[in-house]
Amino acid sequence: MLGLSPEDWQAIELTLRLCLYTTLILLLLATPIAWWLASGRSWLRTLVQSVVALPLVLPPTVLGFYLLIVLGPLGPIGATLEQMGLNHLAFSFEGILLASVIYSMPFAVQPLHEAFSTLGRRPSEVASSLGAGPIDRFFSVILPLTRGGFIVAATLTFAHTIGEFGVILMLGGSIPGETRVLSVLIYDHAESMNYAAAHRLSAMLLIFAFVVLFVVYAFNRRFRTVRF
Amino acid sequence: MQLSIKVEWRREQFLLKVAEQFEMTGVTALFGRSGCGKTSLLRVIAGLDRVRGAEVVLGESVWQQGSAFKPTEQRRLGLVFQEHSLLPHLDVTENLLYGYKRTRPEHRRQHPEQVFSRLELEPLLGRRIDQLSGGQRQRVSLGRALLTSPDLLLLDEPLAALDTQSKRDILPFLLDVTRDSEVPVILVTHSPDEVQRLADRVVFMDQGRVIRTLAIEQAMADPASPLFADEGPASILRGTLNEADASGLRTFTTDKISLLVRAGSARSGEARVRVLARDVSVALDDPGRISIRNQLRATIVASTPIADQQQLLTAQLADGQALQIEVTAWSAERLGLNVGTEIWALVKSVALME
Amino acid sequence: MMFFKLPTVRLRLILLLVLTGLPSAWSWAESATVAAASSLRPTLDRIAEAYMEANPEDSITIIYGASGRLTAQILNGAPFDAFLSADTAYPAALFEQAPGTSEPVIYALGRLVLWSANHDVKGLALSGLTQDRFRRIAIAQPAIAPYGQRAREALEAVGVWAQIENRVVYGENISQVAQMSASGAADVAITALSLALQDGLAERPYALIDDSLHEPLAQSMVVTARGQHNNAARNFIKFMRHTVAADILVRAGFQMPVSGMAAGS
Repeated sequence: MLGLSPEDWQAIELTLRLCLYTTLILLLLATPIAWWLASGRSWLRTLVQSVVALPLVLPPTVLGFYLLIVLGPLGPIGATLEQMGLNHLAFSFEGILLASVIYSMPFAVQPLHEAFSTLGRRPSEVASSLGAGPIDRFFSVILPLTRGGFIVAATLTFAHTIGEFGVILMLGGSIPGETRVLSVLIYDHAESMNYAAAHRLSAMLLIFAFVVLFVVYAFNRRFRTVRF
Repeated sequence: MQLSIKVEWRREQFLLKVAEQFEMTGVTALFGRSGCGKTSLLRVIAGLDRVRGAEVVLGESVWQQGSAFKPTEQRRLGLVFQEHSLLPHLDVTENLLYGYKRTRPEHRRQHPEQVFSRLELEPLLGRRIDQLSGGQRQRVSLGRALLTSPDLLLLDEPLAALDTQSKRDILPFLLDVTRDSEVPVILVTHSPDEVQRLADRVVFMDQGRVIRTLAIEQAMADPASPLFADEGPASILRGTLNEADASGLRTFTTDKISLLVRAGSARSGEARVRVLARDVSVALDDPGRISIRNQLRATIVASTPIADQQQLLTAQLADGQALQIEVTAWSAERLGLNVGTEIWALVKSVALME
Repeated sequence: MMFFKLPTVRLRLILLLVLTGLPSAWSWAESATVAAASSLRPTLDRIAEAYMEANPEDSITIIYGASGRLTAQILNGAPFDAFLSADTAYPAALFEQAPGTSEPVIYALGRLVLWSANHDVKGLALSGLTQDRFRRIAIAQPAIAPYGQRAREALEAVGVWAQIENRVVYGENISQVAQMSASGAADVAITALSLALQDGLAERPYALIDDSLHEPLAQSMVVTARGQHNNAARNFIKFMRHTVAADILVRAGFQMPVSGMAAGS
């Protein structure tokens, strides 16, 4: 189909799975972090904010190498998992999922942080004075009023994970069906001078990404975060 | 019921330090200049800011003490903020019912029908929030807070952001709610006018501290009270506004006194009037033939010199309420106006506080 | 403002010539920019130093990168006068596609080794990779890296490829393979001898893989079309086959090609 090989389809399926999981996990993770960051000012917040933004600065292969050390059997996390009778995380889907979560973290946290800051504390205070508990408040007030921020966060995370390359290259080991995602496959195609296959996949990726971004931004114009 | 509160809260240069017990009946005004800490105190009471070591106890229920902290949503209080705080993704009806739905049925004392009609909200139901005027928004906020059937109603400068017309629109409703609802109210305000209209008790605050707490009558008796801005000392009299008689005149009465007032179409019932001290003259004999029609028997209970050779007299009316009278020191001496002197107070002007 | 009156066009042309072209012509010195595979770092630096000691008037600047990327850059006009690849295919492609490129010449043969941060691999044979302790085996991506292709050939030759294939992880190049194993994430790696001898990896033992199990890992070089009249570039390429350079290469873990070995792909 579309001139793609089974190998290509495998990579596409794997990539979409990785992006979907990364986005879901990050929305769950980034929401409380962003809320906390937006709910005041302190040195600890500045510290956390800086740490979250680090993946923007670090070259992906460097980040990948550190993750390789930490998640491998000799690293603190990998070693702990091994002691518990589990496998370390290098060269596994779980490993690149974790890497993607870290790598795309700023793209989820920053739009939400921005949305929550713009929203301010007032709507939440109003809702609590009306008897709504924290979870109720989140779903009945904060989420509807910051929908734009959530859409942007999810889109950027998803798109950024699709394009993720350096980290996965280092940490994943390019295992078909497990860690060989689309960007790595395109790179392999190009490096092995299989330009036709590389072009096909790149074009697909490009069109897909463009359509997603366009639809989301068009949609999002209607749902700006409401200012109080 | 009493509200006892203890808080010491340092924020940069500002220190809020309060340890007080307030009687929670009627309307208690937290009065002071902006920056005096009154809104901070309100936020501690509401549980919006959790200050370490603070204590907030309302009647039997402990809201904060030691490590115990009841979050705002469990305190069963109503809040009306200064600026518009309706939830913009909900329409008027949804806003009004947001808290009602979250109030346990056994706690519900206020119900939509009665609140809607009392605050005349029916025409607004179903409208979008951005279609409301400022006064309408505050009216909806008030209704929304009432519909949670709160044990305590907190009003944080509810009129401050409104223009004169909007204030005039909403005041009758605010008066109505604060007067005959059984819910105690804490009103944060910097406006002497709002205090005089609404408060039963005034908590004077300055630089993060409570200076003193006085009943409204006592607060008004102090000639140096910060409640008197440009118009000088005044008295607040409480009584009942009656329906117009055949000649179109309306009277304001208590059990022993009666005043003619210009009240237009104001709703009859419990009401307040304000009498400026400088609008009252004194006669020692019954001044029969005189244009001033409001004449009250009174006994002087205090006499204090104030600025510009003026003397402020406090006189007790037949029903026990106090009336402030401003006379020149010269008149006081000439007429022998001393404590114990029986007088006729001639009231030139009475303002109904609607 | 009279002093800054623009000179005539002819005058400007002369100025330009004087400022740019002439000084190098006067000194007879030449400089060359050489593109080289990253895996040659730091060996090639030493060779360039030796060259410049012998030819003080010349200067050599080396730009390292992935062979494939460097090839693409040269084809698209990158200012490189010579190119030392980690394989023979890229120089051959340049020779075919860019007229003026010199015929490729093999300058060294690479050797494969087994290396591990976690296990003692001294004396380990390729067949030993089937042991359970080697859960992850890193090699370079065979489709794009010659060292990967040769590693796979060797594994197939000893008949263990099918058995261990699902434990193999792929690095994009031989340095990444080295990093994967140095971090301990991969239990063992098939990497280049030249890397195993470098600081950082040299503390651990390695096991040399019999080079009769795979095609030779020939690495070849060319003078690019741009460098065909650059004496420094041409001399440096010649110098690569001089005994001084050969000594440095051998000490760094490369082997010398048997003379007469063809560099064609």
